Amino acid sequence: MTLDIEAIRGDFPILERRLPNGKRLVYFDNAATSQKPQCVIDAMSNYYEHYNSNAHRANHTLADEATTALEGARVRISSYFGTSPDQMIYTSGATEAINLVAYGWARENLSEGDVVVLTEMEHHADIVPWQQMSVDIGIEVRYVPIDVESYTLDMEAFEVALDGASLVCVVHTSNVLGVRNPVEKIIEKSHTAGARVLIDCAQGAPHERIDFDSLGADFVAISAHKMAGPTGIGCILVRRDAMEEMVPFMTGGSMIKRVTTEGSTFQEGHAMFETGTPRIAEAIGWGAAVEWLEQFDMKKVHEHINDIASWTASQMREIPGIRIYGDPGRDDSSGAVSFLHESIQSQDLALLLDEGGFAVRTGHHCAQPLMDALGVPSTNRASFWIYNTMEEAESFVQYLREVVDRFA
Amino acid sequence: MEEDRLWPQHLDEVVEEFQACFDSMERYELLFEYAKRNPSPLPPEEWDDDNQVHGCQSRAHVTSFVDEQGGFQMRGGADAQIVQGLMSVTAMAVNGMSPEEVADMEPAYAEAMGIQSSLTPSRANGFLNMFKRVREDASKLSG
Repeated sequence: MTLDIEAIRGDFPILERRLPNGKRLVYFDNAATSQKPQCVIDAMSNYYEHYNSNAHRANHTLADEATTALEGARVRISSYFGTSPDQMIYTSGATEAINLVAYGWARENLSEGDVVVLTEMEHHADIVPWQQMSVDIGIEVRYVPIDVESYTLDMEAFEVALDGASLVCVVHTSNVLGVRNPVEKIIEKSHTAGARVLIDCAQGAPHERIDFDSLGADFVAISAHKMAGPTGIGCILVRRDAMEEMVPFMTGGSMIKRVTTEGSTFQEGHAMFETGTPRIAEAIGWGAAVEWLEQFDMKKVHEHINDIASWTASQMREIPGIRIYGDPGRDDSSGAVSFLHESIQSQDLALLLDEGGFAVRTGHHCAQPLMDALGVPSTNRASFWIYNTMEEAESFVQYLREVVDRFA
Repeated sequence: MEEDRLWPQHLDEVVEEFQACFDSMERYELLFEYAKRNPSPLPPEEWDDDNQVHGCQSRAHVTSFVDEQGGFQMRGGADAQIVQGLMSVTAMAVNGMSPEEVADMEPAYAEAMGIQSSLTPSRANGFLNMFKRVREDASKLSG
């Protein structure tokens, strides 16, 4: 069934917004965060309006309803990601998810000289914790370079880096280049080499249906807010055998069985890693988001986004002075189009685009090593999602041409 | 600067030029032009941590001194043309005034030019951070 984009757009009240200068909002910053459908907003408001209560271990109606909704969201979300609830740990997002692997698994299982393999295109969330582990426990961090011609990972270099590795951490889809990495091959090779694998799916999850059990990674980090869910919540999906090797890195309420003045015992499974009051409203919102997404064939969603991104990039390449980073024309590309103009500085360009109603992001996108590899301090980035249209892309290209004519 | 003035007289022509702009895009176009007319540029090879203005989304650098006539002089550079343009206008406003006058000055000219209302709060903060840095430098250079 074809996507009914008009109907989809109707689910997002913010898309009707006009900016203070009267221009209609054209939201092309989805790699930073996606907009939220009304059902997600309603689910969270409904919780606060009708059954707000702390969850777990209470006998009153509101607490029971809140607990049911929280755990019901876990069932729904884990099922969406092709796994069981016991393999899902709620976190505040992909950043905390990766830090949980660093502090909960790596610190316990790795020691000085053990090797963690990253790539040059990782988000800072998947670089800085490992650099900190290198300082704290003396692990060796290796970086797989990208091929700056094809904007893909140098897989020959990956094979070399893999030698003796204990953990491989790779981004599923680059938030800058839009390139989807061959994660299945990476997982297979890493496991053959004896390494566990963490895949950062923060950008991948909005664009394809991640099936954790089939994918085979040991850890998968996801953020809700890039896939129609609220900010402040995400998860780490963890294989049971890997979870058994983990220790909690945040301790306190909820994750304990018994606390005495002599010491404490901890819950088992995912409960050991979920400390303090849960993000109840956010979990409910995320559950509503996956319920909304489940109605769509994500392959068709990906095709829709890919069509817009590849057309836009091809048109942008015709504009004098514009350079595209990445290859949005690839079938597996996620819809992020990073670009620069040779004479209009990126901040200026973003501001001028905003004057036209176009929301794009500018900066290093939390990927400074990638910027270094590309030889630029920053890029502008237009990133598309399910509710964007070809008409929006056409108006963007037209406006960009006018800006370049006027300001270059 | 005379007591009832919000900016020095020599800036009137610049302010009027911006006030005559039809819309924000025309103002930005004019800022791009003013970026090229910086009377006292600070080139990138002189940028360092000490002269960097923090709180700007793009890189902006300002340094100041007192000239032989006792007048305050600022030199500024930025990688973004819009910021560079704002620096040019600011330099045109403050260069030659006494450090004490610069230390007391408000960026009313930017409001009159229609620039501040064109900028969102976070972008306006960048300009204000730059202006605050100029005033702080002037304050330090005051006798």
